[in-house]
Amino acid sequence: MKISLFAQAPYRYLPENFEQHHESVCDVPYSLTTREGVYSSIRDFMDELMFGARSGFDAVAVTEHGQSSYDMVPNPDLVASALAYMTEAEGIDVGIFPMGRSLGKSREPLRAAEEYAMIDVMSGGRLVPGLVVGLSYDSSINNGVPPIEVRKRFDENLELVLRAWKEQTPFAWNGKFSQYPMVNMWPRPLQADLPTWITGIGNPNTMRMCLERGFGFTYLSWFGAKLTGKRIFDRFWEIADQVSVPRNPYRLGFLQTVAVAESDEQAERDYAEHLEYGFRKGLGSIPMEKLGLPGGIDIRGVQALLKDPGDFGLYYQMKTATYRDLVDAGVVIAGSPATVRDQLREFCREYGIGNLHAMLSFGSLPRHLVMKNIQLFSEEVLPHLRDLWTDTGHQHHWWPERLGGSPGNWQIPANTGLAAAR
Amino acid sequence: MTTQPTISEETIGVWDGRITMRVKVAGVGSPLLYLHPAAGLAWDPFLSHLAERYTVYAPEFPGTSVGDPYAIHQVDDLTDVVLLYEELVRKLGLVKPVVVGQSFGGMLACELAAHFPDVPSALVVLDPIGLWLDEHPVANWIATPADRLPALLFHDPDSPAAQAMLALPEDPERQRAAIAGLVWAFGCTGKFTWPIPDRGLRGRLHRISARTLIVWGRQDKLANVAYAGEFVNAIAGSKVAIVDDCGHIPQVEKYDQTVQAADEFLG
Repeated sequence: MKISLFAQAPYRYLPENFEQHHESVCDVPYSLTTREGVYSSIRDFMDELMFGARSGFDAVAVTEHGQSSYDMVPNPDLVASALAYMTEAEGIDVGIFPMGRSLGKSREPLRAAEEYAMIDVMSGGRLVPGLVVGLSYDSSINNGVPPIEVRKRFDENLELVLRAWKEQTPFAWNGKFSQYPMVNMWPRPLQADLPTWITGIGNPNTMRMCLERGFGFTYLSWFGAKLTGKRIFDRFWEIADQVSVPRNPYRLGFLQTVAVAESDEQAERDYAEHLEYGFRKGLGSIPMEKLGLPGGIDIRGVQALLKDPGDFGLYYQMKTATYRDLVDAGVVIAGSPATVRDQLREFCREYGIGNLHAMLSFGSLPRHLVMKNIQLFSEEVLPHLRDLWTDTGHQHHWWPERLGGSPGNWQIPANTGLAAAR
Repeated sequence: MTTQPTISEETIGVWDGRITMRVKVAGVGSPLLYLHPAAGLAWDPFLSHLAERYTVYAPEFPGTSVGDPYAIHQVDDLTDVVLLYEELVRKLGLVKPVVVGQSFGGMLACELAAHFPDVPSALVVLDPIGLWLDEHPVANWIATPADRLPALLFHDPDSPAAQAMLALPEDPERQRAAIAGLVWAFGCTGKFTWPIPDRGLRGRLHRISARTLIVWGRQDKLANVAYAGEFVNAIAGSKVAIVDDCGHIPQVEKYDQTVQAADEFLG
């Protein structure tokens, strides 16, 4: 199994009663911050990612969120490029995994393709490119894209990005959302086949696209994996069966918040208040209407969500969730190394997960405790998970060749038109 | 208050057959085209009143018709929408109709009258959107959570008229369908108003030659009553009627006053 360190960059010093007065996105008042608080939140975030890179993780991963207090990363490629150069300079063979450059949001899709190509070159071929439709508030409120156009913009931009990476000769692009008379990126990616991932939270159409077109699918389990995991992963593998794609665990990624300490009791003492800060003031303070602006979710999807909101797990209680709520729902897996690795191994084995993205920093967790969490995880958890799936014979087609993967050789479903098309 | 007339439905193929417009039709007399707000078409007493003197044609915006949600994907920009409605007017055989529009429909009515000045015989717009003043930003109704919409739309959200308009079916299945339909209607119309409901209408208003009445709720919290003056100043010879103690939907919240203003203007 591949195991990444995933991190967001929350502002770590919000007032105690923040969630009673503010939302965490869009109009969250910047007057709540200090210069020192912003600097140290970002500096620590970068240091923690580098510590992870030096500690034996297979990749370091980040996401994109504009105008938000829970993840001050308006463009993950800025972070990823810094990590790409530093790890290359230090000779660390670690994947650089920006998980979600939002193409539903992007008005400059060619720039997104260029940034990824640049990072791949800077890292010597270690980029694991993640693309995402984008959160509703980020695409539409922060970036002005009409909600009903976000998915269509993603679909079109995705085709442009994939083609711009691969095509050897210049071409003209006449899209509905962007037009370029000459597409001819310099540089192109070093990797001939970029192992491309799509990040989602459970839309079956996105899952199907990943399976049919050979993208990896990353599930961000913010809402509590014990509540949502079975629904989501069963759905994924059932669709895989429908389109006759082998159940190769390496095509599936799973993001999980993890808190490791010397004992279960110590984990609660160290992490409880910071986890509550993270989820109450972060995800819990994003109102539902900003996650699904009208038009952003297909009308049939709206009806399905109204009938069965189960994919949202603990979301509706997140604003007041206690440490115990978060643990019980699986929003976080916390405890001693043995507790954590047993749960993670069992969960990943049960649902066929071949890529684990461990989120080891959260909320107000101070630097020294993040470092402790990273160290304990890398020394006492990670080594016990790595051999999961090694005896199954599955190849990892969604990982850079330089890091042991074999991208580009994913199996084409035999019973679809895609096989003939190739 | 009037009784509801018999309402029939016509379907008209437009846009080279790619879109089927559903049009509610009721009443007798010369033609009147009614363009509904962002939430979709709801037949209300105001339309019933108009149907006493006119044959009211009320088309459903592409994508907002039950069972045909993806029609919205056939039309991409506002110019296409205006052309599509002009085509609809021709195919319905409406000669010099009165054009009435509310909020989003008011913007559409102005666009139609600006692009095709000869189409309407008269224009009545109720709290239309389409302009922008930095000192009075139009509220983002699409991003407003459902529980805050009544206070945005009505001066008195507890009034019986407001409550009746906002009531949802009790049957859970029908309730879900109604909510999803409303959300989708906001999404469909939002394609031409997001993120700022200003697609350059101000520069085109001078082309409107039809007699025009602008009706506005004095306490409109979605689009400030100051916009009434902007429309009046830009449309030559237009008249304005400000309705007191009234929010964004005067024909619902202050039915009598709105009907009186419309009747006086239409003669």
